Amino acid sequence: MIQTNRTDRPAMLIALILAQIVCAGFFVWDVVLDSGDVRNVWPIDPHFGIEAVAVIGLIAAVVFETRYLLHLLAHKARLERKVSVAASAFADVIEDHFHTWGLTRSELDIAWFTVKGFSIAEVARLRGSAEGTVKSHLNAIYRKAGVTSRGELLSLLIEDLMGETQDPSDMSAVSGTQAGLSTGHGRDAASQG
Amino acid sequence: MNTFRIWDPLIRLFHWSLVAGFAANAVFTDPEHSLHEWVGYAVVALVAVRLAWGLVGTRYARFASFVPTPKAVTEQITDIATGRRSVHLGHTPLGALMIFNLLFVMLLIGLTGYMMTTNTYWGIEWVEDAHEMLVTWAEISIVLHIAAVLWESWRTGVNLPRAMVSGVKTVPVDAKLVE
Repeated sequence: MIQTNRTDRPAMLIALILAQIVCAGFFVWDVVLDSGDVRNVWPIDPHFGIEAVAVIGLIAAVVFETRYLLHLLAHKARLERKVSVAASAFADVIEDHFHTWGLTRSELDIAWFTVKGFSIAEVARLRGSAEGTVKSHLNAIYRKAGVTSRGELLSLLIEDLMGETQDPSDMSAVSGTQAGLSTGHGRDAASQG
Repeated sequence: MNTFRIWDPLIRLFHWSLVAGFAANAVFTDPEHSLHEWVGYAVVALVAVRLAWGLVGTRYARFASFVPTPKAVTEQITDIATGRRSVHLGHTPLGALMIFNLLFVMLLIGLTGYMMTTNTYWGIEWVEDAHEMLVTWAEISIVLHIAAVLWESWRTGVNLPRAMVSGVKTVPVDAKLVE
């Protein structure tokens, strides 16, 4: 649904531009027709002048909208690229962790499924193995990562997303009081600067 | 450079016959003369043949191969906006819009032209106005069409006018191909 929403908005703009081009075509024809007779032409007939200005305005609007459309689509494409870069960078970070923990091939598989939110039963079905096997692999993963649950495993990975600059002293500030939190950050910023 | 045989002989013959027919009636023939009428009928016949060929013709001639969906049109404009060089082997989505526009307007010009020869509509002002207005619209469209073809040729590095003569598209090797 989000997908159609994202593609529909430029499509509406494109449709509007096409409709305006048709209108501009009609009025250009009208102006050219009127200019054939000298009595219709400004300054004799102000109607002609107004019409000509309207046509120029319409064409300017088409040009402006087209430029805006190009800008919009370029911006959208840039954002989409950034998201995909971020997604693959996040995957790299996770991959890195898995590598550091020294997971075996099957543990690696199961770790990915777990991070992606599959339950033990689902992972067992996907890999065609028994739930007991998955559970023991999962326990090995938790042991190597130094965590005790799926939640902790995810927290460990997500921590990296929020910035690796947070050192333990900063973490202690977060776990302190509200006042401690703000002074903690202030101290941190001061020591960095 | 990779070469692809895209346009069949009938497509090319149709394209350049339509160019000749429209140019003849818009510029050279006398609207009062029967030659104008016969060229007009020939253009309508050409479009009819093209419409049939769009259903049963070769791969890139078929309408099904170039349906200008909003998604496809948006993608092509995104290519233009971001400077991505993707080459459509057949018609591009925007090109397809222009094709349907031109085919449709040619039929309407033929229809209003024919109406002027009938007893019922002869001398009726709105029919004449519509005929002239549609011709102006066709002329504006043709100017846009030629400008767009030159622009796309420059942008994608594929010589499109030559492809419409020889039937073969010569595509730079580094270009991304889109069906």
